[in-house]
Amino acid sequence: MGRVRNWQLGRDMEYPHAAERPQRQFTMIMDTNKCIACQSCTIACKSTWTWGKGQEYMLWNNIETKPFGFYPLGWDVNVLERLGEQEWDGDVYAGKTVFEAAAPGESVLGWTAEEEDWSHPNIGEDEPTGDAVETTHVPDRPHSLMWMYYLQRICNHCTYPACVAACPRDAIYKRPEDGIVLVDQARCRGYQECLTACPYKKTHFNLETRVSEKCIGCYPKLEQGLQTECTTSCIGRLRLTNYLSPPDQADPRKPADFLVHVRKIALPIYPQFGLEPNVYYIPPTHVPPEYLTQMFGPGVEEAIAMYETARNDPELLGLLLLFGSTERIIDTWDVRDGVARAYDEDGEEIVAVPLREPTFVRELTFTTQVEGRPVTGYRHNT
Amino acid sequence: MSGGRQVTRRDALLYGGAAAGGLVAGGAAVAGIAAAVERRREQRPLEGAPIVARAVDGPLPVESPSDGAWRSARAVSVPLVPQQLVPPHLERAGVSEIAVRALTNGGELALLLEWEDASVEDLDGIGRYNDAVAVQLPARAGATPPPITMGAPGAPVHVLQWRATWQRDLDSDGRTGVDQIYPNVVHDVMPDDVLPPETAALYWVGRKAGNPLSQVGRRSPVEAVVAEGVGTITHLPKQAARGRGVHEGGRWRVGIGIPSARKGVGDALAPGTSWPVTFAVWLGSEENRGGRKHIASWQTLEIQGRA
Repeated sequence: MGRVRNWQLGRDMEYPHAAERPQRQFTMIMDTNKCIACQSCTIACKSTWTWGKGQEYMLWNNIETKPFGFYPLGWDVNVLERLGEQEWDGDVYAGKTVFEAAAPGESVLGWTAEEEDWSHPNIGEDEPTGDAVETTHVPDRPHSLMWMYYLQRICNHCTYPACVAACPRDAIYKRPEDGIVLVDQARCRGYQECLTACPYKKTHFNLETRVSEKCIGCYPKLEQGLQTECTTSCIGRLRLTNYLSPPDQADPRKPADFLVHVRKIALPIYPQFGLEPNVYYIPPTHVPPEYLTQMFGPGVEEAIAMYETARNDPELLGLLLLFGSTERIIDTWDVRDGVARAYDEDGEEIVAVPLREPTFVRELTFTTQVEGRPVTGYRHNT
Repeated sequence: MSGGRQVTRRDALLYGGAAAGGLVAGGAAVAGIAAAVERRREQRPLEGAPIVARAVDGPLPVESPSDGAWRSARAVSVPLVPQQLVPPHLERAGVSEIAVRALTNGGELALLLEWEDASVEDLDGIGRYNDAVAVQLPARAGATPPPITMGAPGAPVHVLQWRATWQRDLDSDGRTGVDQIYPNVVHDVMPDDVLPPETAALYWVGRKAGNPLSQVGRRSPVEAVVAEGVGTITHLPKQAARGRGVHEGGRWRVGIGIPSARKGVGDALAPGTSWPVTFAVWLGSEENRGGRKHIASWQTLEIQGRA
């Protein structure tokens, strides 16, 4: 065990390997408020990477309805239950991580999902919690009666991955160039320790090759400066593939650093597990903050307040509008004259998006003459 | 067997006279007595004694674990304990001993390994782990055995592992997978249906990357590896071990044979030499895999010279 710095916990923590941050860290920002669970991302991923024999049940990317959707069944509540009630002391996590709570002889506090647990990726879909007393329309926020939301899930390419910690063969590693976590397909011996250890349950066992596989962050695209398949196929334009710095090296000109460290609008998922996950979520605005705080840690209400006033923050609004506007990875952006512009690493403009789409309001009625007489007409949908 | 179900003659033969509850007279009782006599005639396994590889002439019955020729070698019972030296630990023991017999004909060393396991786990799936057994020998001769935890840098060990999955592969034309785990599976279009073979092969990445676990057309249910410590298993480029496992009467009985010369591995297992040897057993039903295994302390293997 070594001591490593986990900034999401605001403290150092125990981890089986030495601290070694990559040169830069792959990250994804998800705006949960825009998702309609169309699963375009899921299909894009599936049809690109996992349509082979032996990969039938695998969804490296999935969308689940919270609170009742899970893939695999109960993935998060199972860890939360085993971890027990834990506390945050302000922004500092006072509880135990899955590494610190591991039993003697184990690297991680884990659990193994059963075959059946992987068999219902759409369980709980669109199922709200709470009582529908009189109507399904709930005007207040957060919703007092009933709510649900969609959670977008890929491998978190954690800074301190539990799969890496648990692999007895060092067959899983973080790429130094972009922090993507990969299973060495030649080295893995199929022990499935990673499946037991990963609290997000984002490693999978290939039934034909008998080794573990997982989300590869679409690294062949990344290497060409392109965003991932799940990002570019998203019709809700809610994802941003980017790179994230640790907070002490945050550069406000970089999109992910701005969203995570400057505006603090996007939060990690279950930071209390201690893996320093690198997928960040703009929390859903209508969900009770107690639930969201359990899932995204401290800062949920501030993030939602920031999101709700984004219309008055051109820099933030411009960046949010650049989500899904280009296949290329955005290095920097700016907003001038009502237009948000994205730039690549050479400073070349990639794409420009107006903060407000040009609109034309047609008159509802028009006047003309019929047989020499003035007539007022009603404009139909023509 | 319980619950008032009609006990058949087949049950009696499969499960023994006691389990049949006396409902079947005659044939079953006779069979039970015969088995008891047979057991008495056979010597009880020795405990704490060296494992003597008896020198015999001719081919060894490696792939016939039930062959009577094994009886000429005295069985030694080796105690097994849950592996709790390095993480991940095996929390609970599912088997307490392994019986070992050894034979040699000068060119090959053969071991017969037997242990109790009520169920057969011979498919690798999600949360499905296989039954397996392994033999560990030092790669090199020497006074001090390598660390029992699979050797150490500079002190390599030679490990021969038999897996029930590989046995089933062999017994099923070389391959088991999705179609055997889920016999009613219906496939959509698969890469090899629509892509050129070399492109389709990319979708079995482990296989394409050369992982020995992922290959089809296995020739032996035994894999020979070397290791210099936990987590360092290295597949030997030349695989010369053979073997066969059968499951009978709630026991696995596995024969493993290796060429005594151990070319490319280490020192020969020559007649008249003595070696430290140890064993590991995995019960798939108890989620044993990798380091979650039953282990034994170093035993002594004496390889008989010809008389």
